[in-house]
Amino acid sequence: MASTRNLKRVAGKLGFAVSIFVLVSPAILVFLWMLSLSLKNDADNTAFPPIFIPNPPTLDNFRDVFAKNNFLLYLWNSILVTGGAVAVGLLVGVPAGYGIARAKSAKFAFLILIARITPALSYLIPLFLVFQLIGLNGTITALLVTHLVITVPIIVWVMIGYFENVPMELEDAALVDGASPWQGFRHIALPLARPGIIVGAILAFIFSWNNFIFSVVLGGKTTRTLPSAIYNVLTFEQISWGPLAAAALLVTLPVLLLTVVAQRQIVAGLSAGGLKDG
Amino acid sequence: MKARDSLPLAFLRSACVNGGVTAGETREASLGKGDDATAQSHGFPSPRVPSERSAGSDSGGDARPATPYDFSRKYWAFAIPAVIAILAVIVFPWLFTLYMSTQDWKIGGGSAFIGWSNYAILFQDERFLEAVGRTFWFTALAVVLPVILGVAAAVVFHREFPFRGVLRTVFTMPMMATPVAVALVWTMMFHPQLGVLNYLLSLIGIPPQAWVYDPSTVIPTLVMIEVWQWTPLVMLIVLGGLASLPPEPYESAIIDGANAWHLFRHITLPLVWPYVMIAVMLRTIDALKVFDNIFVITQGGPGTASETMNIFLYLQAFQFYKLGYASALVVVFFIIIVLLSLLLLYARQRSKWNA
Amino acid sequence: MSQHTSRGPSRRHVMQLGAAALALGAPAVVRKANAQSQFDWKRFAGQKIDVVLAKSPRADIYQRYEKEFTALTGIEVSSEQIPEQQQRQKVMIEFTSGNPSFDVVNLALHVQKRIAAKGKWMEDLRPYLADASITTPDYDFADFGKAGLDYATQSDGRLDTIPIFVDYWMIYYNKELFAQKGIEYPKSLDELKVAAKALTDPSKGIYGFVSRGLKNANIPVWTSWLLGQGLETIDSSGKLLTDTPEAIWAAEYYRDLNKNYAPPGTIGFNWNECQTSFMQGRAAMWLDGIGFTAPVEDPKVSRVVGKVGYGVTPPGPKAHHSATFADGLGISAASKKKQAAWFYIQWATNKTNQLRFLKEGGGAPARNSVYADRETVTASKFGPQWFDCILESAKIGRPGLPVIIPVQEFRDVFGVALTNTLTGADPATELKKATEAFAPILAASEKG
Repeated sequence: MASTRNLKRVAGKLGFAVSIFVLVSPAILVFLWMLSLSLKNDADNTAFPPIFIPNPPTLDNFRDVFAKNNFLLYLWNSILVTGGAVAVGLLVGVPAGYGIARAKSAKFAFLILIARITPALSYLIPLFLVFQLIGLNGTITALLVTHLVITVPIIVWVMIGYFENVPMELEDAALVDGASPWQGFRHIALPLARPGIIVGAILAFIFSWNNFIFSVVLGGKTTRTLPSAIYNVLTFEQISWGPLAAAALLVTLPVLLLTVVAQRQIVAGLSAGGLKDG
Repeated sequence: MKARDSLPLAFLRSACVNGGVTAGETREASLGKGDDATAQSHGFPSPRVPSERSAGSDSGGDARPATPYDFSRKYWAFAIPAVIAILAVIVFPWLFTLYMSTQDWKIGGGSAFIGWSNYAILFQDERFLEAVGRTFWFTALAVVLPVILGVAAAVVFHREFPFRGVLRTVFTMPMMATPVAVALVWTMMFHPQLGVLNYLLSLIGIPPQAWVYDPSTVIPTLVMIEVWQWTPLVMLIVLGGLASLPPEPYESAIIDGANAWHLFRHITLPLVWPYVMIAVMLRTIDALKVFDNIFVITQGGPGTASETMNIFLYLQAFQFYKLGYASALVVVFFIIIVLLSLLLLYARQRSKWNA
Repeated sequence: MSQHTSRGPSRRHVMQLGAAALALGAPAVVRKANAQSQFDWKRFAGQKIDVVLAKSPRADIYQRYEKEFTALTGIEVSSEQIPEQQQRQKVMIEFTSGNPSFDVVNLALHVQKRIAAKGKWMEDLRPYLADASITTPDYDFADFGKAGLDYATQSDGRLDTIPIFVDYWMIYYNKELFAQKGIEYPKSLDELKVAAKALTDPSKGIYGFVSRGLKNANIPVWTSWLLGQGLETIDSSGKLLTDTPEAIWAAEYYRDLNKNYAPPGTIGFNWNECQTSFMQGRAAMWLDGIGFTAPVEDPKVSRVVGKVGYGVTPPGPKAHHSATFADGLGISAASKKKQAAWFYIQWATNKTNQLRFLKEGGGAPARNSVYADRETVTASKFGPQWFDCILESAKIGRPGLPVIIPVQEFRDVFGVALTNTLTGADPATELKKATEAFAPILAASEKG
């Protein structure tokens, strides 16, 4: 009797372990395969049956990526575009989130929501034509402005939620004492909402970093960002999977590291109803 | 505090959560318990909705009855920079798209007013109509499967087990990874002769598949990637819901001798249903807009077998340069998405799922 | 062609003299010394130009020898290769955006010729050729063959690009696999199908034939077969011939080969996937452009080195043609360094570089003179059969794509139709539907 119960418990535990394995292994498989491809030469990468463990591992693919392409330039472009769009997004989005939360403007919140729902691709045609008109196509500025489509709504969206949760009593008291709303924002609400700013910035960074279609269309030879560079420049010719996997890994590495480091913030931001971009 | 907190915000969030869960605080506080102290110390936002108010019914938020210290008008100043930015990069493009949709834009430059013609052609364009149908089919699969799996994953990750935090991080990585990079790796894995997936299948005795190289399997394959990528989002949302569940119903049910499935079906599921609905909503919106993966992996092929609305849009706009036509498409696409979102909200308002 | 051959006698004379004075493939330094009295290569030294190329063995050659150009002229070159499909799209977007980031661009003339004219993308190169102060006397423009020049010249006589190579479609075949089955290279399309069947052995993972199945990219395969009926897709009056019995026959032929005797997954294959199958020894025949040869004979990526046969596309029921395509280099009309760009084009299309195409497997050059040196070329690893395949194909070359503005849509609409036939759709129905869909697009594009 006791042994059957034991057996049942063990079986239950085993089943649970299996279900965890089933859930997590696809993620592990893809990322490990990416790593494996990036550390093997092309003969091993196209071998069949596949060779899983690089023996010996080679860094040639990574060397190739840096030597044969303007990888560092594209990296710098990505940093400029994403960094700039997040900075501007914070600059305008944080006060806006505050204003909207305090003014309780449902209309504005709704506008932001619709903006988040709209396919990113649909902003591309009008912006493309406008940039054409003023000669900005192919510039970092054009890309940065376009990435605001991603960063501003998400930062405002996240900040509304945060400022709503910052108690208003303190500010009210300060206002009664003669402080201006700006002072109330700057010295009372803003410090309290700092975790929210971090969440907003991280999500905006990731979505902006990951975007590639804006740069495919608007980026020039010297201004394209990493994700579009990997699509435009590094894609398949013959089967050169090694360098491609190495490049893919490098492109997504900052985001993966951020996911690990800022897991808590990302979980909080997304589980509270964040939408992905696009 | 509570009454004025959440009034303006988040149609979606509030409408979905409204009524299902008693209060935001419960969830907020309990999300963090366990392996990592998530929320409470940071004051993370949470779906916090006054129970007496349904968000879908009234959106005229800025004319609230004045409290003694109502400075709400002044707060508008804070939004001015964002308003300018949003007018410039969001509202203006919308209006410009509307204008463009009535134009016949020419490659050599210039355009001509053609009224509704773009729309008229669009609704007779078989390829567009097929793309719409395909998008809905894709969306249905890419909503249902991640939601089911996501709920299951949330139930799993709700329990305590070793390395839970690490494994959860790994589990969420597909969602955050750069889509182009991941899509390229999938492409390599799908290779009909040299791909690792067919090899793995052969290990368990399954014949090689054509994956994205066959019109009949391309959509399921792309859905598979979508599931891989977005199940974690559903999991996170539902996990937030699970964290807020009160223990009492379980205790009494266990005393009544209910088994695990009964507990899940009759207690857990109804309680987290509002969160599931959020997930359904978000997934629907995202799935309708799917682009990156398809664009990189199949570009809508083989033939048109994976040509969704967004892919068709790109093709028209930046392959064939029919910018006017593509603009009309954007307008229709936009209307479809907004209508569908409202429909889901409405369905949520009408049905009282929560027991 | 009159506008090209009827230049002033004095100019032609000078060019011929210059050409005669030079040994083929003479080092740049020597050439400079010879031409020094008339021509200053260093005139634009210090400028920097941007060049965008389509990924190909030709582009590899240009990039490999780029330093020569800089040494000769003092002009810095920033060049990049982008995979063909993306390159065409990118070039189009940049031209349309009015702010292209390149000075020199490689155009696929079979796709972009008319649209380049319509969008006024390119600089007309005729005045450049006529200006002795910026065109080296030994350039020898008269040396360019008719096939390439026809592609490069617009209907109003503008010369938007200098043709760099002409791509003839032919069949790469695996001699070893042929020998194993005791099969000769087919002498007709009927024989080709029989051979493909005999060579197919799925149990060994070997297939008789491979060609592009990917929509857009698959059009030349179909037109290759259609040319065997003596027809192009559009007749001289601009009428679509895409739903004629001959076109349907070609689509059926396309379907039969790609469905029955090709590796699984060809529906998503562009040339590079086909090339991989062939280089892995998994396909006995591969129909594609001769310009894709280089990697096939490269032991680092190919397992069939030394076993490759190069066959002229066999004759069809009514005619014998090789589907022909061409690339050209031109100067963006918006470039601010047009003269430096013109220097680059002169260098890139000179005899030395054109000969390199032949020696290094980069395809069929646009200049006639480079074919004269049979010894040099056949001594390369590509051998006499490859060289003869080019010469034979050139004799029967005929455009593989219609010369219209909406080529991309043509490729898309009919490409989808062809792809559909691979999964069971009826060729006649598909082609009829596609023709109906495309006819209004074509009509609208010709209205302006």
